[in-house]
Amino acid sequence: MSATALTIVSLVIFGGIILWMAVYGYMISSKTSEDYMLAGRGIGIIVMFFFMLFSISSAWTFYGYTGFLYQHGPSYVFFVWGCVAGFAALYMFLGPRLWAVSRLNRFLSPVELLSERYQSKPLRLILAILLLSFIVPYIGIQPRGVGLGFKALCNVPEYIGIGYMTVLMVVLVYMGGMRSTAWVNIFLGFMDTFAFLISLIWIMKILFPGGLAEATRILSEKSPALLTAPGPQNYFNHATISGLFIVGLLAFSWPHVVIGTMTAREKNVFKWLPMLAIVAGGVCFYTIPFIWGSILAPAISNMPGTRVPLVTGTEADFVLQTIVTTYLPKWFATFVLMGVIAAAISTAAVQLMTSAIFVSRDIIHGFFKQDATDKQLIGWTRIAVIGIIICSIIVAVWNPIALALYLTHIAVPGFAQWAPCLAGAILWRRGTAQGAIAGTLTGTAILIIGFVFKLGNAITLVSIIVNLLVYIMVSLFTPKPSPEIQGKFFDEVDEFLSSRN
Amino acid sequence: MIETDNAGGKMREMVRHTAGRIFLCILLLSTLGMLYVPKYFFQERIFFGCMTLPFLSGILFLLVWLVAYLVYFFFFWPYRH
Repeated sequence: MSATALTIVSLVIFGGIILWMAVYGYMISSKTSEDYMLAGRGIGIIVMFFFMLFSISSAWTFYGYTGFLYQHGPSYVFFVWGCVAGFAALYMFLGPRLWAVSRLNRFLSPVELLSERYQSKPLRLILAILLLSFIVPYIGIQPRGVGLGFKALCNVPEYIGIGYMTVLMVVLVYMGGMRSTAWVNIFLGFMDTFAFLISLIWIMKILFPGGLAEATRILSEKSPALLTAPGPQNYFNHATISGLFIVGLLAFSWPHVVIGTMTAREKNVFKWLPMLAIVAGGVCFYTIPFIWGSILAPAISNMPGTRVPLVTGTEADFVLQTIVTTYLPKWFATFVLMGVIAAAISTAAVQLMTSAIFVSRDIIHGFFKQDATDKQLIGWTRIAVIGIIICSIIVAVWNPIALALYLTHIAVPGFAQWAPCLAGAILWRRGTAQGAIAGTLTGTAILIIGFVFKLGNAITLVSIIVNLLVYIMVSLFTPKPSPEIQGKFFDEVDEFLSSRN
Repeated sequence: MIETDNAGGKMREMVRHTAGRIFLCILLLSTLGMLYVPKYFFQERIFFGCMTLPFLSGILFLLVWLVAYLVYFFFFWPYRH
């Protein structure tokens, strides 16, 4: 069998497995909106771990993260350390309460939960639009990344890869809903991890028999700037690195991760998940792309007689794929591409599902058709899936940007604008609707002004700090929430969490 | 291990019992440490032959969080049962 035929057969089998899981998920689902949107609130510890870890490990982890480390040195890892702590914090502090209150009151979306907590429909609309604005372009980046991976591996037009991934993702979410998306993440997670790990070990064995120390030595001799800050292109200073860490900490507010807490089956999930996030996610999994991007790939480009010379800009996003395609057999490069597709689908599918819930539950159901049946709600969510994927791909193709930069400079700062409102709703009895609306709008306005006038990365921190201060100040100067709301969102939650459930 | 407030109600929030406050302090101090440590990233420091300082500091940070979380959540968290 020729290498091309093998590639096609592998991709067909891979796609077939995902489609089969989607169909199976559809067959076993109970056809209720709770089942379709939140997996029937039945996700246990192990599935939750794979669901969440790989809903954040996207094409960015393979391409964007490694590409940025490759160009600018190891300091970028601080964003990941912040993210790991942020996710752990979500499951330690907010997760149990979000889970309990949504279970007690049958909330289907975190935006719905906040709207009820603050007794504000305008807030519901503001948050839904805000989150959709930042999540939709991010969804489109994933198929685009896969399209470029196809191009690098098979020399085929980008749209073939985009089409392949889009079909898989849409069928998965459309048919299987949140449950299939969560379960498929186990399969995708294994693919993702093995592709990463085996390629790392194999490349090291071929090119650096002396191990990582040998690769580091080459870097130290040929390009020492890649082992320190500010990096070869003077990208980093103390403030930039600290800022990246803080932006990473805000990962607790990523909407597709927050909604995951509402799918948990039991309280114990929150007791165990931080450990899995820190050990298996932070220390083990994220070390693999770090080694790839900060040591292995730059050492290969700097070693004598290299077949992959130094690349910069968006080209660097694909250095890992280029190295694998250059030095390893074609069949294995296909396997790595499948790992990238797995990573991309595992994230984009959860984001797609989350966005569709915001559209159907928070906008259509919340404002236009409050007496909708379960069947109608599921139908709208499915239509939203199609609409969102079309919009997201148009945005991603129309405005191409390096993967790493989109995540850290646009998506995360945008998601973070609902962080004070979210955390305050769950942890602070005194938080009010006026405070939440004022803080969110002020922070978002500052962020947009920063984007338009290119005021730099610091604007992200400024927007969040101002958002938080406005939220607190306005809340303190407006009437406190009613005793009923405080009872529903705090006292009942305490009682529920204290019971042995 | 749950303390009671002045009104006799149960104190379930982390900031209102000693173990919770210690836990939060540890997390906060380690986080502040992470904001301080980039100061040392501008000189080449390699540990164990291949480990750069940004990586090593992050691993140590996560280990601190891990130990603090294990102790608090498995022995003091009010909702642990």
